[in-house]
Amino acid sequence: MTKEVDISVDFAGIKLANPVFTASGTCGYADELADFMDLNALGGFITKSITARPRKGNPTPRMVETDSGMLNAIGLANIGLEKFIEEKIPLLEQISAAVFVNVAGESVEDYIAVVERLAAEKAIAGLELNISCPNVAKGGISFGTDPAQVEEITTSVKKAAGKKVLMVKLSPCVTDISTIARAAVDAGADALSLVNTFTAMVIDIEKRKPVLANRTGGLSGPAIKPVAVYMVNKIYNEVAKSSGIPIMGVGGIRTAADAVEFIIAGASAVGVGTWNFVEPDGPVKIVEGIKKYCSHHKISHIKELIGSVE
Amino acid sequence: MHNEIEKPKGNFTAEICSNHQVGPKFYRLGLEFSARAAKIFAKAKPGQFLELDLSSAALPPSEVIPAELADACRRKILLRRPFSFFNVATDSERTTLDILYCVLGAGTLRMTTLSKGESISIIGPLGNGFCVPQGKQTALLVAGGMGAPPLLHLTETLVGDYPDIRIIAFAGAKTKEELLFETQLDRPAAEKIERITATDDGSAGYRGFITDCFTKWLKENPVTADETMIYSCGPEEMLAKVAQTAKEKNIDCQISMERLMACGIGLCQSCAVECRVEGEGQTVYKLCCKDGPVFDTKEVVFKL
Repeated sequence: MTKEVDISVDFAGIKLANPVFTASGTCGYADELADFMDLNALGGFITKSITARPRKGNPTPRMVETDSGMLNAIGLANIGLEKFIEEKIPLLEQISAAVFVNVAGESVEDYIAVVERLAAEKAIAGLELNISCPNVAKGGISFGTDPAQVEEITTSVKKAAGKKVLMVKLSPCVTDISTIARAAVDAGADALSLVNTFTAMVIDIEKRKPVLANRTGGLSGPAIKPVAVYMVNKIYNEVAKSSGIPIMGVGGIRTAADAVEFIIAGASAVGVGTWNFVEPDGPVKIVEGIKKYCSHHKISHIKELIGSVE
Repeated sequence: MHNEIEKPKGNFTAEICSNHQVGPKFYRLGLEFSARAAKIFAKAKPGQFLELDLSSAALPPSEVIPAELADACRRKILLRRPFSFFNVATDSERTTLDILYCVLGAGTLRMTTLSKGESISIIGPLGNGFCVPQGKQTALLVAGGMGAPPLLHLTETLVGDYPDIRIIAFAGAKTKEELLFETQLDRPAAEKIERITATDDGSAGYRGFITDCFTKWLKENPVTADETMIYSCGPEEMLAKVAQTAKEKNIDCQISMERLMACGIGLCQSCAVECRVEGEGQTVYKLCCKDGPVFDTKEVVFKL
């Protein structure tokens, strides 16, 4: 019965077997997850952020659990562009899921340098522009909170990306997320992913000090889900629907029901993030659950669900 | 991509076979694995760890919740909790192992209510584990407080697989009741290893730090550095002192480190351990979960 359901998605011209991605920063470079699930069962895979040069990241503690969530302040620790191409692309080439590489930098030039190199890699279907990391001193979120800067960086990176799909990841830490989304779309973004983490803080009341060495971190997990659903629906109604730009919904997804909620809100694809830490085979179970939902509700194609909230 | 048989770790269900108190705040949880998990955990190396899903474990009745945890325990558990393990026993069908835990927060408080026959989700075995280089004749184990379990596991392996290696264990804790290495050591192993203990209050062994006993012992008992190996687990201050002694005596030293981690499998990058790069002045962050938790002390920059 479930076999009759078509949950394939056209995502900015990329044909996905299903709408489920692993979200950047929660699934490594793919090799870490290969012991726990069949990566080919995913719709797509998004690597952790890659920068032009390797980054050590922030001092510890870098993580603290909160009510139904967690804060992280990793600081874009990564092996750098050259090592990524040399060591990680070979595995990514083998998986049938659409591979997106998340790209970060401290300057527009940094982003362009990374994107130009990756645009030549066959294994990569698209690039996710990280202009929303809250845990670095330079770059990151500072690019993503000002519409003029969003437009500038998106325009430049779009040129460098060539034929690769360019997805811009938005920060929820703005007064009006639609303004930012519109700036990205006007500058040529092919897709939008939202939301990145919320800047947050946990204080040790015995020491009267922040728990994280970075003082603040990004809140993720089930705690942010209703806000993320709201923002996806807002962007769908105010920007994406009229421009035909697909949304990837991210924020606190644990179950197929969570994923379906994002899709009904307006997302064409979903990213599973923090939940990978708890259930490293969770995304595959979500794919199966979405099929069951569609089958149970007699939905023959998942596109009937996208943005179907009344 | 690996096929099913070759995968060295996984997401499994274990059955709880026991859970009882073994000291003030200390408990011992017994787990049983069957099928593929039994085979995989039978091969686990000492120093490796597992991740427990405690999200559906219940809180104990409010009257038995310690006052200092009354607020902290209200928090719902999202992330798994890492634990080392020991007392690994196996036959062709099943593998059992034990976890020692100390009730310190919302997760470990919930652990106390797990009871025999219940199922629990486990990811493991994770991390690298200790190794025994060729040519070693003497193993010096230094355990501090909750650092006992991986060294108890190592003791089992050394006694079982390396009968010619002389084992001397140095175990320290705040009090006699908290001296887990002593109280939880199996009798057959206990007879084969030499033991020196220290407690902060003098209720067992020397009064003072175990590191002082360790340094003093090495002064009085010269060992051949090449043929000796030091293994340690405990608070980071203690590990730093053990590392210093190892450096002075030019003895190889492996330590098991601890860091807050969200996943245990290299995804979250939370559990960074600062390490020196050989021949370079700079340092890198390695991951406690994947590159460790066992590190060579020559590379570790301690966080003090």
